[in-house]
Amino acid sequence: MSDDAQREAAAVRAEWLGHLLSTAPADRPAAEAAISELYRLIGLDPPRFHWVPSPLAALETVPPGVRPRPSESMNRLSEWPLPPRFRRLVGDLFVQLDTRVMRSSRVLDPMIRQLVRAPITDSARSTLRMALLGEHERFGQGSAWHAALCPSWSAHYDAVRRTSGVVYTSEEERLLDLWATPARSCGWWWPREGVCVVSERPVEIHTEVSGDDGEVRLHRSDGPALRYADGWDVHAWHGTRVPAWVVDDPSVERIAREANVEVRRCAVENIGWGEYIERAGLRPVAAAPDPGNPGSELRLYETGLEETPQQAARILLAVNGSVERDGSRRRYGLAVPGVFDDPLAAAGWTYGLSAEQYARLVRRT
Amino acid sequence: MTVTLASLSEQTGLAVLDHLDRSVSIPVVDGIQAQGDLIVVPMAETQSLSFWPKAEWTDVPPEGVELLRGVAGGNPHTLVADPGTCRWTRGVSEPGGLAIGVFEASAPVYLLHPEHGASGCAPGRYVVRRQREYAPGGWGSRLVAD
Repeated sequence: MSDDAQREAAAVRAEWLGHLLSTAPADRPAAEAAISELYRLIGLDPPRFHWVPSPLAALETVPPGVRPRPSESMNRLSEWPLPPRFRRLVGDLFVQLDTRVMRSSRVLDPMIRQLVRAPITDSARSTLRMALLGEHERFGQGSAWHAALCPSWSAHYDAVRRTSGVVYTSEEERLLDLWATPARSCGWWWPREGVCVVSERPVEIHTEVSGDDGEVRLHRSDGPALRYADGWDVHAWHGTRVPAWVVDDPSVERIAREANVEVRRCAVENIGWGEYIERAGLRPVAAAPDPGNPGSELRLYETGLEETPQQAARILLAVNGSVERDGSRRRYGLAVPGVFDDPLAAAGWTYGLSAEQYARLVRRT
Repeated sequence: MTVTLASLSEQTGLAVLDHLDRSVSIPVVDGIQAQGDLIVVPMAETQSLSFWPKAEWTDVPPEGVELLRGVAGGNPHTLVADPGTCRWTRGVSEPGGLAIGVFEASAPVYLLHPEHGASGCAPGRYVVRRQREYAPGGWGSRLVAD
């Protein structure tokens, strides 16, 4: 596999991640033309289009003049008749391309899966799909359709073409392009016979890189990570969906009241472990000098956060080995299993070392 | 020649944050050393590390090899060695899944990080591990990313 192919794959990934995370207004004529043509390809007349400002609006409103059959209500998306027909249409093409193209290039397939398809699938799951799942379990029902709408498919076959030099037939090109057009022109779409609901894209989306292959997840420390024009927004802390207060105004009192342990962790991280331990008055278990980090201590605390004994955790508060720009050293708290009473054993565990081994740490930077 | 942050930075073309002291020589040691969320452990300290049957070893080039990239795309831990003195493989496994690779050095080699500075390792074989923390209710633990 050549470096050129890898570079090209990375370029394709960047391009399609750009589409996934786009906040541009929909190109409605392009989206409608492509979706109309896809309807024709499964033997149906083009639908009427009902545009909504967000996926939540699609969930909670019904297109004017439409009285959907009970089997075509949003909470039964998995039973709708049209999505499987569209999925079969493109699925057959994908199988055909895999058989024809991938037989001749066995090296490319795993490379493109790893560098293009998987990172985009993960990124979609950790951004838009995660936001919707959190909003309404009902959307979980339609996950096969939402998976089909993921730009990872279009990106995958785009990358195959651009890295292998294989030429697709004009028929194949046309269907790939029709399927790719909504993915790069608008938000999700939900097809019923006669009417198709299409969502606009978000007006704001904030992410951070979360993996080695360009994967991203929702994160913003000073406001909603995802926001649509109708006001629906989602807060997220390093990929975890959280209530707004975790980002905007975390406090010890709110953390104590919060039932969800992940949400609590995010709020504590936002305050900072050192600060939190002080404010919450966590009970110290033990402290010891940090080997290899002269003048710094390792401190072990009870969290008071666990729900069950199985979940019992303690917090190891450590000090960075290197200085910050302002001359201070950053403190950070790591959760460790609740069985530890010895800070050295707890610190060793984080690196797969025994207490005795960790005690021999020569240097920390 | 004395190895400093400044000389490593020049050799690799990697920038280090300018508030770190760039002129102090980097200590070279043969024991366990931590660099933020990464730790270097002499092979003698490990009991159950195994190499993949087809583990691929690569020579560490003068500009270094990136062992681990931090979150938000930045701040990699980079292994730096003089030509022909160090080879490296990711083809290892260890219970706990913390090992990211093994390097073998015949001369002092260095781990460089823009925020943590540099650590020098004496000739020998070392396993490089990531740090984990406990995640109740999930997979038991998750890798630390700084």
